[in-house]
Amino acid sequence: MKNQDELFHFVEYSSEAAERIGYSDYSYWKSVFQNFLKKKSAVVMAFVFFAVVIFSFVALSIGKYNYAELKTSSALAFIRPNGEYWFGTDNLGRDYWCQVWYAAQVSIRLALVVAVGECILGVIMGCLWGYVRSLDRVLTELYNVINNVPTIIYMTLVALLVGQSFTTMAISLIAVGWLGMARNVRNLVLMFRDREYNLASRCLGTPVWRILVKNIFPYLVSVVILRLALSIPGTIAMESTLSYLGLGLDNNTPSLGLLLRNARNYFLDFPHLLIFPAVIVSLVTITFYLVGNAFSDAADPRNHV
Amino acid sequence: MTKYTIKRLLQSLITVLAIVTIVFLLMRMLPTDYYFTEDQVMKLTEEAKNDQLRAAGLLDPLPVQLFRFYGRLARLDFGTSRRLQSGVPVMQLISSKFTVSMRLGMMAMGVSLILGILMGVCQTLNKDRFLDHTGTVYTVFVNAVPSLVSFSLVLAFGSRVLKLPSMYSTRNPGPSSILPVVCLSLASIASYALWTRRYMVDELNKDYIKLARIKGMSSQQIMLKHVLKNAFVPLVQYIPASLLLTVGGSLLVERFFSVPGMGPLMTDAIGKYDTNVVQACVFLYASLGILGVFLGDVMMMLFDPRIRLAEKGEAR
Repeated sequence: MKNQDELFHFVEYSSEAAERIGYSDYSYWKSVFQNFLKKKSAVVMAFVFFAVVIFSFVALSIGKYNYAELKTSSALAFIRPNGEYWFGTDNLGRDYWCQVWYAAQVSIRLALVVAVGECILGVIMGCLWGYVRSLDRVLTELYNVINNVPTIIYMTLVALLVGQSFTTMAISLIAVGWLGMARNVRNLVLMFRDREYNLASRCLGTPVWRILVKNIFPYLVSVVILRLALSIPGTIAMESTLSYLGLGLDNNTPSLGLLLRNARNYFLDFPHLLIFPAVIVSLVTITFYLVGNAFSDAADPRNHV
Repeated sequence: MTKYTIKRLLQSLITVLAIVTIVFLLMRMLPTDYYFTEDQVMKLTEEAKNDQLRAAGLLDPLPVQLFRFYGRLARLDFGTSRRLQSGVPVMQLISSKFTVSMRLGMMAMGVSLILGILMGVCQTLNKDRFLDHTGTVYTVFVNAVPSLVSFSLVLAFGSRVLKLPSMYSTRNPGPSSILPVVCLSLASIASYALWTRRYMVDELNKDYIKLARIKGMSSQQIMLKHVLKNAFVPLVQYIPASLLLTVGGSLLVERFFSVPGMGPLMTDAIGKYDTNVVQACVFLYASLGILGVFLGDVMMMLFDPRIRLAEKGEAR
C-alpha cells in the first residue's frame, strides 16, 4: 500500500491554470461563420451573389462594345440577342449587353456605399440615442419629422436643389436611411443597457465604450445585418424608382430605372429589353436578401452553442 | 384617456408644423428661375421678373413669408396653383386628383387585406408544408425584387396574356385600373401574409391553446375563435396607416400606368415650383401619416381592451 503522500499532494496556486479552467474556446465571429456554413443553401446563394457582382465588373471588358463609345443608329434598333449583340440592342440601336452590365454595376456600387454609410451612421447614432438619455427626446422628434414625409419628397427636392449625380444620391439616401437603422439599434440598446450584467459591469468600473462594444454590440450584429440585407435591395429599388421618375442618376449614366423607362413602351414586343435587366438585378437582390437573412440568424448570439 | 388624446394630438400638431416648415424652407432654397415657364425665363427682363416675384410676396424676408404662411395655414387656405393649372384653387386641384387615387387605393387595400390575411391563414394551417413555402417564396420575391421590375413583369403578363389595357384611362376606368390595383397591392399582400402568419404561429404556441385542445375544442374553432382573433390585434394597428398612405397614391404606380392621381402631382408641383400645391400636398401627406398612426393605436385598443393607451404612451 502506497503512502498517502504519494497519492495526494497540494498544488501551488497558479493564476495561469485558474484562467485556463474559466476559458472556453468561444469566439464570436468563429461561431457566426460556423453557423452560417452549416446552411448549404445560403452558402450557394452567397456564391451566386459574389459571382454576379464580380462578373458585372468583368462583363464590361469582355463585351464587344464600350459603353462610352456607343453610337445610336436606327438601322440597328431592336435587334434580338445574337452572336454580335449578346443581349440585342435597344430602341436606339445601342448594344444592350454593356448597358445592362454597366447599370447593374452602378446599382450594386450605390447600394453598397449606401448600406455601409447607413450602417456606420445608424449604429453610432443609435447607440448614442439609446445610451444617452437626454438625447432621446430630440432624436425621437427628429425621427417623427423625417419619417412622416415620404422619402420620395426629400429625394425630389434634393434632385432639384443639388442636382443629379452618384455622390448626391448616395449622400441623400444615407441621410434619410440612417434613421431606420438608428431606431432599431436604439430599441435594442434600451433593452440591454440596464440588464444586470451591464449594471455589474458599470459597478466594476468598465468604461462606457467597452460596455457598448463588448456587452451590447454582439446583440446588435444580427439586427444590423438584417437591416443591411433589406437595405441593399431597398436602395436598388429606390434608385430604379427615382431614375424612372427622372429624379435619380443623370441621364448619361445608364441605370436600371433608365433602362426600364426606355424599355417601358417596347418590351411588350421585344421582351429581351425587359428580361435581361430584370433577371440580373433580381438575381443580385434576391440572393443578397436570402444570404443576409441567413447570416443574421447565424450572427444572433442566442443561436450559438 | 382624454388627457392622453389631447397630449397626443398636440404633439402631432407640432410634428406636422415642423414638417411643413422644413419643406417651406427647402422650397425657398430653389432658384427663383423655377418660378417661371421656360418662355418667361427667356423673354422677361430681370425687372419684370422681380415685379412678379414681389407681387407674389416672394422677395420679402424669410420670417415674414413664414409667418404669412402660418396665418394662411391656420385658416386652411392653401391659395391657388401657379403653374400646374394657374388660378385654380389648390384644394380643388387636389380633390380631383385625390378621388382617383382614393378609388385605386381603397380597392388595393381591400384586395390586399382579404388576400393577405387569407394567405397568412393558409400558410399557418399548412405550416412547413408546400403551401407555406410557396407563400414564403412570394414574400421574398416581393421584398427583394425592385418594385419597378415586378411592375414591369405584371404589366408584361397582364397585357400580353390577359389582354388588359396597359395604361389607365378615365374613359374606361374599370378594366384599366386592374393592373394598377394589382401593382399597388403586391407588396401589402406580402406584408399582411407575413405578419398574419407570424402572429398566428406565436399564438399557436401558447398554453391556452393547448388547454383548449385538451378540452376537446375542434381545430377549426381554435383557429377562428382564438388564434385568428388574437393574431389580428397587433395587425390591426397598421391598417389605418397603410390605408391612408395608399390613398395618398403611390408615385411609381401612378406614373407607370399614367394614372392622373396624387402621386405624380407632388413631383410635378416641385419641379414646376408650384409652392402652394407642394405645401398642400406635404401637409396632406404628413397629416395622413400621423393620423394613421394615431388611429392604429386607437383601433388596437378597441380590439383588445387590455391595452391602455395612456400607459403605452408613457412607456415609449
